[in-house]
Amino acid sequence: MYCVNCGAKLENTEKICPLCGTRTYHPDITVDVNNAQYPEGRVPKIKHRSKTLNGAIIILFLIPVIISFLADFRLDGDIDWFGYVLGALIMGYTVFALPLWFEKPNPVIFLPCVFGEMAGYLLYVNCITGGDWFLSLALPVTLGVGLIAEAALTLLYYLKKGKLYIWGGVFIFAGGIVVLVEFLVSTTFGIAFRGWSLFPLVALILLGGLLIYLAISKSAREVMERKLFF
Amino acid sequence: MKMEKRQLRWAKLDNAAKIYPAARRKNWSNVFRQSATLAEDVDKDVLKVALSVCVKRFPTIAARLRRGAFWYYLQEVSSPPEIMEEYSYPLTFMNKKEIRKCAFRVIVYKNRIAVEFFHSLTDGAGALVFLKNLIAEYLERKHNISIPLECGIVDRGQKADDEEIEDCFLKVASAVSQPRRDTDAWHMSGEIESGGYLNLTCFKLPVGEVIAKAHEYDTTLTTFLSAVMMRSLLDLQNEQNPSKRKQKRIKLLIPVNLRKLYNTRTLRNFAMFTIPEIDPRLGEYTFEEIIKIIYHKMGAEVTQKHMGSIISANVRDERNPLLRIVPLPIKNIVMKAVFNAVGERKSCLSLSNLGAVELPEIMKKYITRFDFILGVQAAAPYNCGVVSYKDTLYVNFIRNIRNPDLERHFYRVLKEFGITATLESNRK
Repeated sequence: MYCVNCGAKLENTEKICPLCGTRTYHPDITVDVNNAQYPEGRVPKIKHRSKTLNGAIIILFLIPVIISFLADFRLDGDIDWFGYVLGALIMGYTVFALPLWFEKPNPVIFLPCVFGEMAGYLLYVNCITGGDWFLSLALPVTLGVGLIAEAALTLLYYLKKGKLYIWGGVFIFAGGIVVLVEFLVSTTFGIAFRGWSLFPLVALILLGGLLIYLAISKSAREVMERKLFF
Repeated sequence: MKMEKRQLRWAKLDNAAKIYPAARRKNWSNVFRQSATLAEDVDKDVLKVALSVCVKRFPTIAARLRRGAFWYYLQEVSSPPEIMEEYSYPLTFMNKKEIRKCAFRVIVYKNRIAVEFFHSLTDGAGALVFLKNLIAEYLERKHNISIPLECGIVDRGQKADDEEIEDCFLKVASAVSQPRRDTDAWHMSGEIESGGYLNLTCFKLPVGEVIAKAHEYDTTLTTFLSAVMMRSLLDLQNEQNPSKRKQKRIKLLIPVNLRKLYNTRTLRNFAMFTIPEIDPRLGEYTFEEIIKIIYHKMGAEVTQKHMGSIISANVRDERNPLLRIVPLPIKNIVMKAVFNAVGERKSCLSLSNLGAVELPEIMKKYITRFDFILGVQAAAPYNCGVVSYKDTLYVNFIRNIRNPDLERHFYRVLKEFGITATLESNRK
């Protein structure tokens, strides 16, 4: 028979035209679905990745947690350094093991979580050691680095093009962060601002500028490719 | 009485087979299917017996993949696999576990016997010998007939001979090797089917008409079909990406069976490929021009000298002592990276023509049809297998995306040549 929509010639077993998706119809021919080349509606079960391995990894992380807790508590009946170990392990788990639980982990969502944890960890260290550098130094630096990393990752992940522009921007902003670090260190700890961060700033701006120039100029890109291929 | 334990044969993977275990991923492995449709429903009990005979006769095809410290290797399966039921689509995902247990499947559906092979075992031509012999054994047992040893039918009572299990790549590599640099091809895309579903569309063509048309253009059936495919790809890209300046190269991977070229009977992988290409940015191509491009590309490359030099590049890597002592897991990472970087980006899809299936006269009345179906590529959504039997040419398109855009163009281009295909599919 023929497809009533696109006119393709079809076997009498076809329920739907394979080319245009129109339901087949013929006044005299009954569609012989039972003699189709493949049975209908019989698909293999998709096996999702076994969660056993993920469980095993949790146990692997729990072992050092328990050992360090016991060691810390038993030594002097007090808990002091265990918090550091725990914080580091939680961060390590978030980075390396947590994405395994998801079918398609999205790094754009994971990265802010990691930076959030990092800020929390630094806050904890700050409180335990009785320092007052968290609000004036650690938080703004973590926030700054986190924002740049998140912006770059989002752009790289969702845009197919413009890698050179994005990396150029990352380098230039990274230079800004270095200056910020020196400034905050000097205000937090009362050290004079000597301006050492200006050297990496200039270098990073030059590097970033070069990448953006390469992104703009096709001929420059070709020259670089010709000279640097390996 | 003490049962003598049979020593299971094992074999190193041949040169081409080495890449497939490494290239495998979470939901994809390189598998292809060949099937024969009989005139009557298949008797599974008889088939089981026939299968157990063939498993012993073809130790490198009826095999499983095992891990060594430095390389994978094939080991003969100790008992034939269970005969499986057909699913709604062919070539369901063959996972790591299954490949290690038995790297091929036998699937029966009504009157059809299908065998699906992991590509490390053999290539299309080797697989066809296995399938033919399986059916010959089945028919002999079922109908009490005697089938002459011709057209690829072998004596199933004998052991496999050395020529059949030889890795011919090592033998034919030439002293000089070719660089492997190549350009990237246009990448077809579309909405991926959920749950790994594969859409199969079979074009049934009258083989006489296609050959007559090919002869009108002074060319062969494979070249003609390849040209039709390239024309369809050009039109499809024009439709999806009208800006000529931004279009990508149309490249078609055509596997080449090397057995005729080197006169051998090996049943291991022994095929290479040639990739004719068209750059649509250079302008419109007439059908004659496309045919010329394919014809001359094949003429230049399907020669002992050229193939030898390509094979030599692959064999050289395999023989490199530094690479050989790298442990298998690290080798896998490197090979997978190489495969992702070059393997499949160099063509839009493959068009594999198995040719005309020849059978002893006595078998012909029991068999009505042959099919050859490739799995989709790892990164590209299409593939196409071609085989002819009796008066029909079966062109099987497989795809893992929803819309049959390429098939639509292929049908139209054939129609423009006055060839009407009859379609069949497994559409949901």
